[in-house]
Amino acid sequence: MTIGKKRLAKIFAIALVPIMAGTGFATAPAQAAPVKIKVWAWYPNMKEVVEIFNATHSDVQVEWTNVGAGGDHYTKMKTCIKAKKGCPDVAMVEFQTLPTFAILDPFVDMAKYGASNADGRYAAWAWAQSTAGKRVNAIPVDGGPMAMLYRKDLFTKNNIKVPTTWAEYKSAAEAIKKVNPNQFIATYGNDPGWITGLMLQGGCKPYKYNATVSKTNVGIKLNQASCKKVLNYWGDLATNKLVDDKSFWATDTGKGYDTGQYWTWVAAGWTPGYLAGQLKDTIGSWAVAPTPQWTAGADVPGNWGGSSFTVMNQTKNAALATKVAMELYPPQKKITKGSAWDIGLNSAFLYPLVTSVENNPEFKNYTYKIFGTDEKVNPIYVNASNKLGTFEWTPFQDFVYSTMGDETTLALTGKASWASILDTVQAKVVAYAKKQGFKVTQ
Amino acid sequence: MKLKQSITAWMFMTPFLLVAFMFLVAPLGYALHLSTQTDTLVGGVEFVGFENYITTLTDPIFLEGVKRVFLFGVIQIPIMLALSTIGALMIDVFNTRLAKTFRLIAFMPYAVPGVVAALMWGFLYSKSFGPFVGIFESAGFEDFNFFTPAVFIYSMSNIITWAWTGYNMIIIYSALQGLPREMYEAAIVDGANQIQIALRVKLPAVKNAILLTAIFAIIGTMQIFTEPRILSRFTNAVSLGYTPNIYSFNLAFNQSQFNYSAAVSFTLAIVIFVITALVLSFTRRKARSAS
Repeated sequence: MTIGKKRLAKIFAIALVPIMAGTGFATAPAQAAPVKIKVWAWYPNMKEVVEIFNATHSDVQVEWTNVGAGGDHYTKMKTCIKAKKGCPDVAMVEFQTLPTFAILDPFVDMAKYGASNADGRYAAWAWAQSTAGKRVNAIPVDGGPMAMLYRKDLFTKNNIKVPTTWAEYKSAAEAIKKVNPNQFIATYGNDPGWITGLMLQGGCKPYKYNATVSKTNVGIKLNQASCKKVLNYWGDLATNKLVDDKSFWATDTGKGYDTGQYWTWVAAGWTPGYLAGQLKDTIGSWAVAPTPQWTAGADVPGNWGGSSFTVMNQTKNAALATKVAMELYPPQKKITKGSAWDIGLNSAFLYPLVTSVENNPEFKNYTYKIFGTDEKVNPIYVNASNKLGTFEWTPFQDFVYSTMGDETTLALTGKASWASILDTVQAKVVAYAKKQGFKVTQ
Repeated sequence: MKLKQSITAWMFMTPFLLVAFMFLVAPLGYALHLSTQTDTLVGGVEFVGFENYITTLTDPIFLEGVKRVFLFGVIQIPIMLALSTIGALMIDVFNTRLAKTFRLIAFMPYAVPGVVAALMWGFLYSKSFGPFVGIFESAGFEDFNFFTPAVFIYSMSNIITWAWTGYNMIIIYSALQGLPREMYEAAIVDGANQIQIALRVKLPAVKNAILLTAIFAIIGTMQIFTEPRILSRFTNAVSLGYTPNIYSFNLAFNQSQFNYSAAVSFTLAIVIFVITALVLSFTRRKARSAS
């Protein structure tokens, strides 16, 4: 309602400017036409968020385009960076991809335009990944702390214990096979970002790269025991047909979550938003539990994805672009109906990295339609996000991920052994890094 | 007089030459220029001559991609051309309204844009949305899946056959239409039946048209891109270098290796050129030895 009024007022204001100018009223420096800032992003329900921003800002207006999710978006970004033209002013970039772009030097240092983490405005781990020393490359928006989504109804009905450790997860997988041989505890979706999040939870931090110390030194150790442990665990489940081998993003898989084919998905804070769009019959039957642990009683989280806004240096107005990056999903003391984070949380299911929203009691008490109405799921994600600590990425994460995906496909189809995946990926990535001129520490 | 004529000729050709230069010669030249350099993430641009080409020819991912599309072509092209030829011969004989309708329907898939066709087949192949999984399963294939790496190449081959059979059929059919009718009359007088006419008179006469479709098909097959690119959302069979063009795309736009990607593209063009030349010289030699 308030938006409607404000927008109406704006239309009047715009209509009045030429009239006033024509009648000689515009003696005071007339308000210049608002600067247009182009934004590329694929957040769900972004349209409404942009409308809110535009209605509440008179100096700047956002022109938003969804150029595709993930890979397609990055392809377009790489093209416009290479062409040295055609880039938007503000672009969404996921955390794991930030160093991969940063090395191409396409970003504005937003510290020059007032971006800072004053008063712990953003989650500490995300801020660390968004900055390089004093340089600010990105403004954190949403995170991907991991937790286990599961079919509460099926676990209860079949009297199977909801797993709290990975050992229990395997027992549950076997129990589910006994209930129905065509149902699985999960599918091994072969998404490198996903397995990387689970490897992180297993204590695997394989990459060392800090552009402020050295742009050319990179540490890669994917074949260490803590990483292999996780992949071997899933390899064991896959080889014994305790998990399925379908991609997470196939339409059939989305349907499988609704038909009882898959009982769990250890996934990110943003995943319920995706899942909600796939479900019809089982809305309200899902619940969230912390990610199963390697040691009983431990509380180690994983993270999958999460993203930020960057300002690209082809912009003509870095100051206003920075403002857009910081204020599209702004800090909010209250999550009022129709505010940006109301859309972000309730329609788009983003996990907020803006601490004033993340720590908001309202957020912690939220209930969602796809989970039973008495399920308070957010404290689980908040706890996971707070315990993430520091982890780094390579400046060629796209190569790492595509190699990992291809090698895992070979293992899934029996053409390579699960135990050898990470050795092969390690060797290929190191060879690539050296060819690109990096000094590699293994 | 002669000079004036040639000036007029050049003026007529200028628009074409301008467009050809801007959109063909210049980009090719730029890509060739790119392919002789290397631009690493650390270190920057450096002239390396043929090094990128040597890397390409020893790159297992590229070679595997070439091998894959080559085997794909060996299976798919003969099937598709056989279907096209049979179809063309049929509509040439049965010149009824039904045949005309069939001609139109068979040609229709070609009018569907490749991206749309790939998406459509993606859904037709899907377990929850399409009919085919059910059909295969009731025929005894348990837990059938069009998107497993082993099956996917056939799923893709079916899409390409579906899209191009009608197009090739029309080319062969037009060649058939151009044949002098007297040839058939002579054959009938000699006592030939319709099947004999089709095999002994028509087929040899449209040999060149079939050869043309074969060459188009070979070039098209070596350049397969749309189907695997679109269907990679449905399957994890499509690896980094699934086909040479997918590889070159991923190198440029996922890994920022524009220079190496240009070398891969040029190498692919040379491979296609060589294969086409081989096919042509092989069929010519055969034709010469036959006569």
